[in-house]
Amino acid sequence: MPHTQRLLTLLLVLAAPVAVAAADLPKVMLFTTGGTIQSRASYRAKLHEYNDGPRVTPADILKDVPEASALAKIEVVEVSNIGSGGINTTLLLKLAKGLNAELAKPDVTGAVVTHGTGTLEETAYFLHLTVKSKKPVVVIGAMRPWSAISRDGPLNFYNAVRTAITPEAVGKGVLVLLNDTIHSARLVTKNNTYHVETFVAREIGPIGFADSDRVVFYRTPLTRHTADSEFDISSIDSLPQVDVVYGYQEASSAGVDALVADGAKGLVFADSSPEYRQAILRAQGTGVVIVQSDRKGSGRVLATDSVASRGVIASDNLNPQKARILLRLALTKTTQPRELQRIFNEY
Amino acid sequence: MHRIDLFLPRAALAALTLACCLSLTLHAQEIPPLPPKELKLPHVVLMSMGGTIASKGDTRLNLTNYGGKGMRVEPDEWVSDLPEVSLIARITTEDFRAPERERDAPFEHGSTHAHWYKVATRLQELANDPSVDGVVVTHGTNVMAETAWFMNLVVNTKKPIVFVGSQRPWTGISGDGPLNMYNAIRVAASPVAANKGVLHAMNQNINAARDVTKSSAYRVQTFQSIDVGAMGVADPDIVKFYLEPTRRHTFKSEFNIATLPDPAKLPNVEIAYAYTEVPGYIIDAMVANGVKGIVVDGTGAGSPAGSQMDAIKRAQAKGVVVVVTARTHGGRVQDTPRRRESGIIPADNLLPEKARILLQLALTKTTDPKEIKRIFDEY
Repeated sequence: MPHTQRLLTLLLVLAAPVAVAAADLPKVMLFTTGGTIQSRASYRAKLHEYNDGPRVTPADILKDVPEASALAKIEVVEVSNIGSGGINTTLLLKLAKGLNAELAKPDVTGAVVTHGTGTLEETAYFLHLTVKSKKPVVVIGAMRPWSAISRDGPLNFYNAVRTAITPEAVGKGVLVLLNDTIHSARLVTKNNTYHVETFVAREIGPIGFADSDRVVFYRTPLTRHTADSEFDISSIDSLPQVDVVYGYQEASSAGVDALVADGAKGLVFADSSPEYRQAILRAQGTGVVIVQSDRKGSGRVLATDSVASRGVIASDNLNPQKARILLRLALTKTTQPRELQRIFNEY
Repeated sequence: MHRIDLFLPRAALAALTLACCLSLTLHAQEIPPLPPKELKLPHVVLMSMGGTIASKGDTRLNLTNYGGKGMRVEPDEWVSDLPEVSLIARITTEDFRAPERERDAPFEHGSTHAHWYKVATRLQELANDPSVDGVVVTHGTNVMAETAWFMNLVVNTKKPIVFVGSQRPWTGISGDGPLNMYNAIRVAASPVAANKGVLHAMNQNINAARDVTKSSAYRVQTFQSIDVGAMGVADPDIVKFYLEPTRRHTFKSEFNIATLPDPAKLPNVEIAYAYTEVPGYIIDAMVANGVKGIVVDGTGAGSPAGSQMDAIKRAQAKGVVVVVTARTHGGRVQDTPRRRESGIIPADNLLPEKARILLQLALTKTTDPKEIKRIFDEY
């Protein structure tokens, strides 16, 4: 097919300058899972219940923010396009495995992940524990839909690409970036239902900022993560069931027994209730691991002698939803309370 | 693993408890005996620069009008009041307080550059002394963040130097001093506190000298790092760090107390506050007084007031270096084209009183704006 060959050569020659320029740019993988950042509402001022427009595709994001493609060669892996409430173990594992495959390639500089904000901190912490790479992974979302007046998504996306190609971001674990602020996945939590400054790390604080002049870091995380993590999900297709039990006045233990009957291998308690005492002993009797977390949102649960003597694991300052993620992974390694406590101390 | 267990071997604990009990029974107010040498407890030097933590009130309820002549806590009194620390560290004390003042004398008049030099020189000696594992420095809370930041820049060490103070006098009802002191000693004795620059430990939080500031006049949670938060905690079970600083400090600093010019020759830098219609003559007066640098605490994202701009240009024409901070006291002053054109150097997110100290040190090395900008970017 000489004609086709000639045409191809011609195309290659024409495309050469562009190709060279693109080759000079660092390569960033964009993993999309959905969320508000990929939602469209029927009108601009609609900032809630915004699922009445067509979903925003990865291509829409790239088209709307051409500035990002001027900084990096962005390649897309679409994992899902759903709200964060729908993210499940299958998707978490797919995302982590996909990131590990791409980040292992020498020509990939970093990755950006879009996610709904509701459970974003859970996915980010899961990746913080399971991504086997020092390359930056930046998880983003938006508080306002892609269609909204003063939408925050485009700047969050642009800043995420900048951060993913910032050398100082290497080795800092999985990062969460919204509202110009860079948080460690280990410490960040969603703090407000609708406002753009929702993500905070409470008493420990953010680790950097993506400002117009510079992506700047003030802190390096010290708990174990990513390349230094002992968790390996490469040959795992499911994770042990772990559920969270809230604590409040006169809480009934019926829920605890029901979760154990449902097959939970671990339970995380967000605070406690006197009613739980017997139910916890019954659960432990069937081999269920108990982690004590807290509903206050900041501060540590201490690994005291009394906690240890009851065979309960203290969650440090992990909130219940993150303690659940760590416990699920820890249970792939051990059910030994001492060893589990070591894991909660180190991660 | 960034944690340390405070539990001693059972035999050592029993011996120490016995020693403490005996000493307490015999002489209730006596300093607990130093633990036996074979225990190899860390050696922490407790240096007093005074402060509320070193002050007594005439009654327990005196929480505001304490200290003054005859109302000071001697360094050894802290140790005798806190026998618990003898299980954590071997403590020796040093007294770097300003001379005893009359009751109505101004607070913290010991915080002069000359005094800083003396303290920094001693801290460097202690850092170089292989028998010392860490240092705790007490300080009045009003300007302790400035002193800590100066030490963070000029003392070259990997050992923990921990600043501590209190919001209530040592004698105050529900005084925060004893727990703050106990925890500061734990932090200074903790290997996980090494390599993190000069630290500030109060109210169970551990902050970096660079970022910490006093944010409330009387509350015990006054010390906050506004932009970036605390780095760790001193909790009952362990001293734990979640983060460490990325900016240059202590052993990574290019400044060194040994090579600084005489304190009287440290370049003079003043702070000019920005507000609507602030007169430019304040800056002119600073220049007439021979300042080498001016920190303008600018409005918003770091903008000097319009009425200051002409005076800034006059100052710059005379070779005065102008740095701008943001009076919002949160957020960075960014490097923008317009700011570059104005020759005004952004101070990143340093508070004005800290930008002043860094500029003073920077001016001992260079007056080149590019080089000073680099220093503000790196520290």
